[in-house]
Amino acid sequence: MSETSTVPRSPDVDPRPPGRHQVWQRLRADRAALAALVAVALLVLIAAAAPLICALEGQNATTFHNSLIDSATGGVPIGPFGGASGAHWLGVEPGTGRDVLARLVTGAQVSLAVSLGATAVQITLGVVIGLAAGLGSRAVDTVLSRAMDLVIAFPSLVFAVALMAVVPGGFPRPLLLMLVIGVLGWGQTARIVRGQVFGLRGLDYVAAARLTGARRARVARREILPALAGPVITYGVLQLPANVTQEAGLSFLGVGVRPPTPSWGQMLASATDWFQADPSYVLLPATLLFVTVLAFTVLGESVRTALDPRAKSRLRAGLDRRRGKRNPEEAEA
Amino acid sequence: MSKSRAAVAASAVALLAGLTAACGAGGSKGSSAAFDPATCQGGTLTVLNHRGQGNFDPAELYTSGGGKVPTLVFRTLTTRNHTTDGPDSAKVVPDLATDTGKPNQDATVWTYHLKPGLKFEDGTPIRSADVKYGVERSFAPELPGGPPYLRDWLIGGEAYQGPYKGGDLASIETPDDTTIVFKLRKPEGDFPFLATATQFAPVPKDKDTGTSYQKHPVSSGPYKVVSNDGGKTIVLDRNPNWSRSADDQRLACPDKVVVNSGLDQSVINQRLAAGTGDDAGAVTSDTNVNASVLARLNSDAALKSRVVTGFFGETQYLAFNPKVKPFDDVRVRQAVSYAIDRESVVNAVGGSSVAKPATTFLPDQPAFGYTPYDYFPAGQNGDPAKAKELLAQAGYPNGLTITLSHSTVTGDGSGPEVAAAVQEALGKAGITVKLDGTADDDYQTKYQKPATEPGLFLASWGADWPSGGPFLAPVFDGRQILADGGNYNSAQLDDPKVNAEIDAANRLTDSAQAAKAWGSLDAELGKQAYTVPLYHPVYKRLYGKDVKNTYVSQWNGLYDLSRISVK
Repeated sequence: MSETSTVPRSPDVDPRPPGRHQVWQRLRADRAALAALVAVALLVLIAAAAPLICALEGQNATTFHNSLIDSATGGVPIGPFGGASGAHWLGVEPGTGRDVLARLVTGAQVSLAVSLGATAVQITLGVVIGLAAGLGSRAVDTVLSRAMDLVIAFPSLVFAVALMAVVPGGFPRPLLLMLVIGVLGWGQTARIVRGQVFGLRGLDYVAAARLTGARRARVARREILPALAGPVITYGVLQLPANVTQEAGLSFLGVGVRPPTPSWGQMLASATDWFQADPSYVLLPATLLFVTVLAFTVLGESVRTALDPRAKSRLRAGLDRRRGKRNPEEAEA
Repeated sequence: MSKSRAAVAASAVALLAGLTAACGAGGSKGSSAAFDPATCQGGTLTVLNHRGQGNFDPAELYTSGGGKVPTLVFRTLTTRNHTTDGPDSAKVVPDLATDTGKPNQDATVWTYHLKPGLKFEDGTPIRSADVKYGVERSFAPELPGGPPYLRDWLIGGEAYQGPYKGGDLASIETPDDTTIVFKLRKPEGDFPFLATATQFAPVPKDKDTGTSYQKHPVSSGPYKVVSNDGGKTIVLDRNPNWSRSADDQRLACPDKVVVNSGLDQSVINQRLAAGTGDDAGAVTSDTNVNASVLARLNSDAALKSRVVTGFFGETQYLAFNPKVKPFDDVRVRQAVSYAIDRESVVNAVGGSSVAKPATTFLPDQPAFGYTPYDYFPAGQNGDPAKAKELLAQAGYPNGLTITLSHSTVTGDGSGPEVAAAVQEALGKAGITVKLDGTADDDYQTKYQKPATEPGLFLASWGADWPSGGPFLAPVFDGRQILADGGNYNSAQLDDPKVNAEIDAANRLTDSAQAAKAWGSLDAELGKQAYTVPLYHPVYKRLYGKDVKNTYVSQWNGLYDLSRISVK
């Protein structure tokens, strides 16, 4: 995403994002967006209702069931489909006999909470630093811009693994994951915000506010922040699936959340030893991770299009007469 | 208490005779009837390993019984009995020496004589001074690693800095080219076992290149090193100056040996199971079969016939630090012992095929002096009721919260899976367990230092050789509490009575008597519940389709690389 792709240059286009009602209308017209929205809502519901689902099934994520696995063959669940039965709807975990459904839904809590939290940290840091760079003096801008370059160029996975390993064991792991992923991933957001601020700074209404004597902080809060909402929300929704995979990756590498707290990445990590002996154990967390990332990505893309003031022609071609003029950039938007 | 010198010599001679007979019979119980030592030569043996070989320097290697790959290159004063799979394979036999060593009356002076006609790979004869130099090198701080016993046992060993800085070590004498005498500061009946270590391999002083010697160590065994890229791939070729006539322990059937290290464990199993191309002549010296192979064994008889099962003396256990509350109370330690669910622990490390539940600290093999006991019977799945009762007596009627430290290496006996199994089992007895995982290196450093040792942690102890001494002494001898780190006496136990019993057992040169003494000491220590033994590992290993003569040693639980053939 280039810095200025959504910043209009012609003064006759309203730079502020479309109203809430309008966004919702556009999203409703987009079938892929609706499907993704339903999937995301379902996932959040499942994660939120995890204890309820466990209670309904009558299982929990930590109880071992030694009688349901075959110890002599390394702990493969007894029975087809990973030992699925009336008591264990999606079977049991090889090696321990813990309930797979309970672990999946409890793992969803960790995976979603960590990725949402990490995104919040990234966006907050990105907006604050991007605003400071865009509105501050030239020196401040130079320093902050180099910091952004540094954070973006950093091999964040390697650094995250190192960071996760040195923090003492007592620190709550999900919170640590959020912070580490967040602190290492604000660079892109900050850069986009900075670019937007540069574009907005020169617009008439901002200039008017400044001329009337408003202080910099007030200009930032009242005039610029609202106009940033569109691109920032868009970027946040696109960043979410990346953070879901990042959490799974770190847990897969053994530095994420720790047993017995389940997470999808961790389930996938232990499943690598079992993909031949118990294929269903690999497929379940893998499918869920795939669906989550796909749903968030599709949703993010749709939100981006719906929020883009110049993308209307694609979604609602010809409906908005006021901004009918074609922008040369629009062809690529 | 010690046996007379004559008796030891007699038994050594008898052993030697037995060996020669076994060798003539061709390794007796091989896997294939077609194996004939006379025509087994040829082909390339591939070794697929998970861990790297590390520095291939005899001073730095830490092996049991001369090692698996190292025994192909380094001959030592004594070695494990390579030629059989029975209880005799846990015994020590002469290798470079003519016997397993002649002790003086109190086992503080050990004398060895070299066999005639021994040569290095360049044809120069092996002299007793080369063996002395090899032992001395292992003291050099530049060449770390290896067992700690030499430093502890030899007179002056504590302060000796190796031949580069410290000159020679006076307590090793070489009166002539075939005689070498070791003088110890205390009686050690197990000295012949220690002499199987690669530190007792001869090193020619004029060929020693210090830290780069490991790239091309001078061979005294059937193979010489052709190339070695940092232990990742080691290629061995025949040593023309070695012959079977001067070595009754090794057959050296393959013409070439290639060791590939750093492979993923499931990759090793898949390659061995498929056995295509070079992998038909492949084996592994460090990787157990995994679940996907185990699941196929019952339906695939051909695959099943290519799996060997053996035991290496090792115990995985929960260690208590009684200096930390509440583990100072024996009733709390007993409650944990009662509550443990060994079936869950065994399943966590790969199931009953690769681990058996343990109630004793000593491994369950006669050579260690195994004496069965189970003072706190937990059955398969624990006895939470009994545990709660003991906790109530100890003043915790509503349960308590404790922290279990473990390593973060997955799939390891001290890893998070086992920790989770312990947590789950203790939870049933009202003990809430918090897990504290630490990256492996830091974990080891942490629990091996009394000042930072956690109250409850997962640990394992493996045998340096099949005897009770190296199994119990480092863990329970009060004089081996090391305040600066490297401490294995996790209970920090310093009981004069226990120390005295350890000394008495160390003086015994008769292995049967010593085994009995170690067994009764273990049974005595078990009552105090300083550890909760969890399981003894079982070695279950695959080998390629063309590999023959794969009988399993009771010393290290594996087929012998110096005896198998790929032809």
